[in-house]
Amino acid sequence: MTETTSTKQTRTADSAAAVVTEFFDCYRAHDVDRMTGLFSINAGFRYVPVEMWGKQRVLRGEGTVGTVGKPLWAGLIASFPDLSNTVHTVLSNDDGDVVVQADIKGTQQGAWGLITPAGKHYSEPHLFIFHVGPDLLIDSITGYWNDAGISKQLGHNEVD
Amino acid sequence: MTGSVVTGTPTQTVQAFLDAFAARDVDAAMAVVDPLVSVTVHPLDVHAHGAEALRTVLADLLRGFPDLLITVSRVITTGDVVTALLTAEGTQAASYAGAINTEKHLDIEQAWRFATDGGLITDVAVYWCQAQLYRRLAVKRYDEISIA
Repeated sequence: MTETTSTKQTRTADSAAAVVTEFFDCYRAHDVDRMTGLFSINAGFRYVPVEMWGKQRVLRGEGTVGTVGKPLWAGLIASFPDLSNTVHTVLSNDDGDVVVQADIKGTQQGAWGLITPAGKHYSEPHLFIFHVGPDLLIDSITGYWNDAGISKQLGHNEVD
Repeated sequence: MTGSVVTGTPTQTVQAFLDAFAARDVDAAMAVVDPLVSVTVHPLDVHAHGAEALRTVLADLLRGFPDLLITVSRVITTGDVVTALLTAEGTQAASYAGAINTEKHLDIEQAWRFATDGGLITDVAVYWCQAQLYRRLAVKRYDEISIA
């Protein structure tokens, strides 16, 4: 039998936090492929404030990272070409939970939802809840923030 | 604050707060809050120090929505910090956050992040989406909140 040396890193609070920190580094670099590469294939995605009310149904910012998260991040970066983030706290535990306080900010250059671009800047506090699996891939992300704060900073006063 | 608080784990401290909040018992909730607590409620633009600030946030919620139902879906402990994910449901019975009473029902998902020390909550940061809240209360514009 051939003995091999495993270089696989085990999940600890620190290693889980490191993965999530890398996510925000990639986000700051606008590298959406690397961002999504940090997630497991069917990782859950949930941005709680994202909802669009139609006449008969409500579309929510919920699904998987591949089907909802990736296009949403790409769209944000397209509409806010200087999109960035400032991470204030990253707290984690050995179960793979990671809680992040961060400001997401950018200057609008393209349409975002129903908000027409007026060249205005926003910076809004966010709270993100991640779960990192034993394979050190993120298997869920949930985001909370005040979307009204973003709308008002961008000069959009309608409650859509 | 009473002097009878038994020092618990961060999770126990926050659970005591959440249980009291869910029971609409503001005094019991405030019994596990440090008098010098730092209070940030992002959607209300509250950035304050002192237990009275947090008491006002809770009391305003209960005055606006007397049948407030708090359902905690997850409690995540990361050292001395505990994050609770919850849904607040209720029927408006008084003006709230500038919105006049239209007796509408709302349900808002929220995240409350608590820092604890010595069995007391020393910092709380609250996140919810005020757009969702105003949408459910039939507010049409952020610059005309009281005109429903």
